[in-house]
Amino acid sequence: MRTPGLFGAMLPAIRDSNTLHQALDLGYRQLLVERGSLLAMVGPLAAAARQGVAIFVNLDAVEGLAADSAALAFVATDLGFSGVLSVKPHILKDASRFRLRTIQRIHALDSTGLETGLNSIGQPAPYAIAIAPAVAIPQVMPIIRDSTNVPVWGTGFVTSAAQAAAVLAAGADVVASAELELWREFRDARIDD
Amino acid sequence: MATRAMTPPARAQAVDRSVARLFEAFDHVPVAAVIRHAEDLPRALASQVPAIFFVRAPAFHLGPLVWAVQARGKMAFVHIDLIAGLGKDRAGIAFLAREIGVNGIITSHSGLVAAARAERVIAVQRLLLYDDLGLRSAMAAVEHARPDIVEVQPAVIFPLVAEQIRARHPVPIIVGGFVTEPHQRQAALERGARAVSTSTVSLWP
Repeated sequence: MRTPGLFGAMLPAIRDSNTLHQALDLGYRQLLVERGSLLAMVGPLAAAARQGVAIFVNLDAVEGLAADSAALAFVATDLGFSGVLSVKPHILKDASRFRLRTIQRIHALDSTGLETGLNSIGQPAPYAIAIAPAVAIPQVMPIIRDSTNVPVWGTGFVTSAAQAAAVLAAGADVVASAELELWREFRDARIDD
Repeated sequence: MATRAMTPPARAQAVDRSVARLFEAFDHVPVAAVIRHAEDLPRALASQVPAIFFVRAPAFHLGPLVWAVQARGKMAFVHIDLIAGLGKDRAGIAFLAREIGVNGIITSHSGLVAAARAERVIAVQRLLLYDDLGLRSAMAAVEHARPDIVEVQPAVIFPLVAEQIRARHPVPIIVGGFVTEPHQRQAALERGARAVSTSTVSLWP
């Protein structure tokens, strides 16, 4: 089964079934499970995935899953998620065997750390890299593009439309936010691919 | 857990004096030079920065670098989380404090902050703010560890969190991470940072 890919630039970051339903009610067809207990919302998530919603999960922050092959198999096969995010290249390498899209998380805290993160990008190349905090992207995009051409997602500290727009204008393909207000503002600007 | 209350008064006084001396110097030149490449060190030594942060040099070759910094009347700080070859533990801290004689230690780990305090060196706790979850755990870590100085990273986040951090912790704040332009340094200082840390050579006065 081919899992759905991305539907637009805004990726609602959810943490419980309440925020999950808010995003779905706004018509979003893609979600990032950013934190919270995945197991507490597993039913509604699996149902959404069955209906073609692209679901990505941050394996570093979500509760209830180990970062191992059994968890990846569960996410890929039982739940039908589209992809996983992690800072750990070996987890992503493992995830690619389950045909999950792999998003390498990279912390943009200072030049030294960013360099280390960019150097950790493994093989096969990830589907995308997710830069955290996203609000650093306008500043660090040139450094990123010096080292890789993979699509860039932004996650973390995006709470206003102006911040989200700046992240996208700097060349990010996707920006994740946990702000309901921002989901509303972006809903009408959504582009289908 | 080491807290200020449990620390012997002599220790507290010695470190408090060097913290006071550092911030007196920062009031004149509010910049710490971050050394990412050894070849930048001579420029930092010749500059007016009162503090130099080593983030990468191999631990067992640090001695002469640290002593060169101190010979210039500057303070030398070592980022123990990133330094190669050294255990990220009490023994690693003790080595830096006793054998090399660093002025301070930078770490994001509360346990190492406590160890640095016990070794009578200035403890700088780095807050890694990649999202609001990171912010929450960082604030809890500061509460627990009671560092002498907090370093907020990246600088672009500081305006978003400055009030929140200051409301809870009256500890002096340094801001670092992608400070590459004079206006970024200025923005951080205007929001209440006592200094910025930067590896951008042109920002070292």
